[in-house]
Amino acid sequence: MSSHREAPEISKDPVADSTDVYAFVSPDKPSTVTLIANYVPLQLPSGGPNFYEFGDDVLYEIHIDNNGDGQAEISYQFSFTTTVRDPGTFLYNTGPIDSLTSPNWNRVQSYDVAVVSGGSYSTLGTGLLCPPCNIGPLSTPDYTALAGQAVHSLAGGITVFAGQRAEEFYVDLGSIFDLGNLRPFQNLHAPTGLLSAMAGVNATNNLNVHSIAIQVPLSSVTISGHPTIGVWTTASRQKARVYDADMGEYVNAGPFVQVSRLGNPLFNEVIVPLGKKDLWNSLPPNDDKQFASYVTQPGLAALLPVLYPGVFPNLAALVASGKPRADLEAILLTGIPTGIVPGFTNFTGSVLADMLRLNTTIKPTAKPNILGLIGGDPAGFPNGRRVIDDVVTIELRAIAGVTYPLVVPSYKPDAAAGEISDFVPAPPAIGSPPISMFPYLGVPYSGYNEPS
Amino acid sequence: MPSHGAKRASAERAVDPRTPAESGSPGAAGSSGSPGAAGSSGSPGFRLSRRSLLQGAATAGAAGLAATALGAATASPALAATNRPSAAGRPQSRGEAPASSGPIVVHVRNAKSGDIEVFSGTSQNRLRDKDLANRIARAIG
Repeated sequence: MSSHREAPEISKDPVADSTDVYAFVSPDKPSTVTLIANYVPLQLPSGGPNFYEFGDDVLYEIHIDNNGDGQAEISYQFSFTTTVRDPGTFLYNTGPIDSLTSPNWNRVQSYDVAVVSGGSYSTLGTGLLCPPCNIGPLSTPDYTALAGQAVHSLAGGITVFAGQRAEEFYVDLGSIFDLGNLRPFQNLHAPTGLLSAMAGVNATNNLNVHSIAIQVPLSSVTISGHPTIGVWTTASRQKARVYDADMGEYVNAGPFVQVSRLGNPLFNEVIVPLGKKDLWNSLPPNDDKQFASYVTQPGLAALLPVLYPGVFPNLAALVASGKPRADLEAILLTGIPTGIVPGFTNFTGSVLADMLRLNTTIKPTAKPNILGLIGGDPAGFPNGRRVIDDVVTIELRAIAGVTYPLVVPSYKPDAAAGEISDFVPAPPAIGSPPISMFPYLGVPYSGYNEPS
Repeated sequence: MPSHGAKRASAERAVDPRTPAESGSPGAAGSSGSPGAAGSSGSPGFRLSRRSLLQGAATAGAAGLAATALGAATASPALAATNRPSAAGRPQSRGEAPASSGPIVVHVRNAKSGDIEVFSGTSQNRLRDKDLANRIARAIG
């Protein structure tokens, strides 16, 4: 997955498990940038009676590096509080929830937003209400309107939302985790080559996530001469946690320490080896130099020719040569320098750091290409990341060699490298597709309509 | 800009207990002759402390010890506590309690060396006190 359950420790802590990060110039408000961090992966919409929520004991942050040092110059912090209005009932709601202040909503979550910048801490909003989860037509009869009430306008031209949304990331998990099988190409797969090719299956369809979205003026996050920002999210927990059996709850104490991180999709999942994934989650991006060899010599590039014998001969030769993949280093760790892709750069400097890099001077495209930059659309991944971007296909193709000619023009990618995907010929249909306005992620699936 | 989670992670590593700084005064703080001294790795106290995360305020007996730990850390220079403020990027934004009024958690990392961490609010103190470590170990029997 993008980063769902990507490391051993965080896979046991869903409320702190970041799944996807998006950063893009807002298409309907291009003077702003929208930043979205998703948490709590793979939510079955009918998962009640205690429906999904953020962790009250987790500090969620979205960071911005605006000078290329791999450290945050701006951090937006989100802290949640859950209130039970009537502890005498087992019900999440006791009637229809037609507004965020409805007395029928029994378990209410709100949050505070703050920004840390220049060494100072400023509260942006307090007691902001999340929407409830989308339960069904009797409990949440007009969910779109309900969620709309949870879009909060703050001072300084900032807009925020935090709550359940539809999962828009798609991937054929069941196949790709089965020895790297891609259903459309499984007739070529070494261990399973006797199977016929077939269409991919979107394993995350009809599932929900919890999203934190913030839209801020571009002028508030960029500095002169540095139009490209680096973006990532973290979740932190207090260092000491003890279960108080008398109270039936956890007691937390001590400083917050980072337990989850996400910048580029699939970085920790596919690039970082299993034995270092938990460590990676605890580190800041400016410590990523120690992981650079996994980027320049990615294990998946070596696996593809083995899993698909004869399909990737040029990639096999490239891997055998031991030449570092400078293209992947640029895409994932430094940004793409000027002169590599005509008219495009999102280079942030020599500091190796996994961040989504968004050149904020590139305007949103009227007709976006889901393959982003490799599809000729510079407003998409790896220039930031939009909700629609097919990051699995983009990264698969990059690792398979399609981007290597950017740094070694004489290299000829294998024909399959430009075709590889887990969805051929088109991405899967999404039940609740992205919407055209903030928070851009689709309306979450309801438990009644998607019970299993 | 120093105030965010990334910086916190760096700060955590700087005092990584896996490479403890010998900031304390073992001779002053230790009481190797006291009953139950953790001079032997085979002592019950040592075994317990290695894996113990002692809950402070929420349980009777340990609460007093935790309070002692905090008091000692501020009162005795010989303990040479490593006193770190709350996370640089997270000022007390949600009415978090002062260090002495909320839950206190004491972690005896190593009773033999007296390596103790005390957590309260969003702060962490680290100190080296063999005698205190031994008393905590004895308290849990």
